[in-house]
Amino acid sequence: MRFFLFAAVVFLLGLSRHGKAQELYVFTEPASNMAAKSLGVRLTNEGIFSGGKMNRTIPEFMVSLNKNLMAHVQGFFSDMDGKYRLEGGSLYGKYRFLSVDGNQKHLRAAVFGRLSTSKRPVYSEDINLEGDNSGAQGGIVVTQLLHKLALSATVGYSKAFDTDDHRVAGMPVPNHLLNYSLSSGYLLLPVVYKNYNQPNFNVYFEVLGKTNPETGRSYLDLAPALQVILNSRTRIDLGYRFQVAGDIDGRYNKNMYLLRAEFNFFNVLK
Amino acid sequence: MKTIRFFILFTILFGGNTFAQQLSKAEVQVNGLTCSMCSRATETSLKSLDFIDAVTPDLNRNVFILTFKTGQLVDIDQIKDKVTDAGFSIGELSATINFDQTKVNETGLAVVDGTVFKFINAKNQVLNGAVTAKVLDKDFISSSAFKKKAAELKSDTYLNGRGNVGGKDTRIFHLSI
Repeated sequence: MRFFLFAAVVFLLGLSRHGKAQELYVFTEPASNMAAKSLGVRLTNEGIFSGGKMNRTIPEFMVSLNKNLMAHVQGFFSDMDGKYRLEGGSLYGKYRFLSVDGNQKHLRAAVFGRLSTSKRPVYSEDINLEGDNSGAQGGIVVTQLLHKLALSATVGYSKAFDTDDHRVAGMPVPNHLLNYSLSSGYLLLPVVYKNYNQPNFNVYFEVLGKTNPETGRSYLDLAPALQVILNSRTRIDLGYRFQVAGDIDGRYNKNMYLLRAEFNFFNVLK
Repeated sequence: MKTIRFFILFTILFGGNTFAQQLSKAEVQVNGLTCSMCSRATETSLKSLDFIDAVTPDLNRNVFILTFKTGQLVDIDQIKDKVTDAGFSIGELSATINFDQTKVNETGLAVVDGTVFKFINAKNQVLNGAVTAKVLDKDFISSSAFKKKAAELKSDTYLNGRGNVGGKDTRIFHLSI
């Protein structure tokens, strides 16, 4: 497995001679939207190492309804409760309400909301609305791009709706959580653009945190990632997140790698 | 006198059936662009306009050179709409206009292919040949540049991009040549 990861990194590094797209964060979403009338398809695989190795696959469909409003629909499949199965789905919407442009810089702000469902039993007060819990989330995200560096901050609130029959006796019960993150992305290559077919290469570093306002328990993860953009249309992400401070008992995605492919279809909707 | 002037403007606006393509090319600098994916999305959006023949990007300067089809009316506002649809905004738009004995009246108004232009630095003259003109209206320059220009010109027509031409409320593009 480790050899595979290493090989993938080398492959991606070798592939990328040039690039630009430094706010397409791997573990969070930026405030920027997709272009209007466009579609996107993602396939994400998460490998979770907590007490044993587990896998989750997330097919995702993205649509920009207009220049300010976009939606994602996700499905979650995993082997976390034994057999590999469909465990739930999620609906995510983002509305961009601020857009200030300059030459090679911009500021964007957006509000987002998420509704999720999951069949999984709950063992932790941690809330992960991408597969592990049923619930709702709302928040705000601000992204600033300064030439080759893109910075983004997200603050959100999550509420779990997991019903009694998903609870496990004697285990903590999820209620609500504050989540926050700081993300940075840097364009490494290309230094000079020639055409759309040059592969783009970006590096990301994200800090992801959650706090339960009731119990005060929180954790902080670091998440570095690499990204390649091919033909200005196809995106490949490889990231790893690990906990550096705090903990919430039984949290799911403590040490996790992520591999994703995304395909974009611009201006295909009427 | 006023009636005569309206009559002349009307004749310029709606008279004459000879339609020759006078807008041939435009250079659009797009603000807020940060990635080739964004550039590609913007280009695809622009290409969906039926009066555009070709889009050539300069990815390092975030500039798109648009060439227009002959025999089709160019709607400058639609160019702006397509850029904002992609999530970005126009920083500068310069159009190449091929004038053919085009009269600019004493207030700087002229009509090209049925579109009314107001020149802020030309009046009482006849224009001929290819001239590159910069569009100064709202959303065709940065918002700070627009505010500055609006304070300088002190004109409602400029603020709204519309004005009364021959008794009709008309879209007016402000140009600097």
